[in-house]
Amino acid sequence: MEHPYLFLTSVFGLFGLEEWAAHHPHVTYMWLAMIILVVFGWLAGKSVSLVPKTAQNVFEVLISGLEEFVVSITGEEGRKSYPLLITIFLFVLVGNLMGLVPTLYPPTASVNTTMALALIAVGWSHVIGVWHHGFKYIKHFLGPVPLMIPLFFPIELIAHTARVLSLTFRLFGNMMGHELVVIILLMLGGMFLAPLPVMAMGVFVALVQAFVFFLLSTMYIAGAIEEAH
Amino acid sequence: MKKETGKNMRELGYFASLGISVALSIFIGLGLGLWLDKKFETDPVLMFVGLALGIVAGFSNIIRAGKKGKNY
Repeated sequence: MEHPYLFLTSVFGLFGLEEWAAHHPHVTYMWLAMIILVVFGWLAGKSVSLVPKTAQNVFEVLISGLEEFVVSITGEEGRKSYPLLITIFLFVLVGNLMGLVPTLYPPTASVNTTMALALIAVGWSHVIGVWHHGFKYIKHFLGPVPLMIPLFFPIELIAHTARVLSLTFRLFGNMMGHELVVIILLMLGGMFLAPLPVMAMGVFVALVQAFVFFLLSTMYIAGAIEEAH
Repeated sequence: MKKETGKNMRELGYFASLGISVALSIFIGLGLGLWLDKKFETDPVLMFVGLALGIVAGFSNIIRAGKKGKNY
């Protein structure tokens, strides 16, 4: 579905890159999300004081609250994966919320972005597993009985591929569906107020999907840390 | 956040993602079988093997969740 008007595409059009920007809106808008996050991080870290003021307060509650949550799931070993997890959460949240602003395109509504995020999250869980168990990490893939290894190994491989695909398609499907419904309502029901109820629900969907992505990546890391079943 | 809430959230995420992982496992097995069939030109054989492996992988997820659910 073609987007009626995209702000950044016209900006890139000033530099003669309109053709490229129109075909890759998820790339340009991902850069916008990254710029937003970097600016907010710079604002929050600029004047860190012992007695927090307004902006620092918000970030401290968000970040330390989620850190305790992650540690309660993975145990103390999961603390060093926390920077990756909070980055994924904030990026997906900002990306989802960009879908609610007119003339912006949510980068998470493209399967390229979500597949990249899912591959990073699941790949890092395997890195953590190898880091913790060394060569014995392969026991996670071999099942309980030695005789059944030829049967269990492909099964576990399929199950781990399903993790990547389920993370990918859940986020992509939700955000793409939301975009489509808003565009169709705009075309069918007049210009201004018709998609308002769907957009109100979109705030909720954006929050829940960002949290689910974050929670499932946390659980995959927790599963890699614990002993083989 | 309380410790109990974190544990409940973990269980919620696990059981909520069960359904989609079963469906995707079956399709991944089928797709893998079809791809290998094209590669080795053994037309229907590997497709059925892959489909069976996918179904077993999906159901092993359910059985594992059932074992986990016994604790409640």
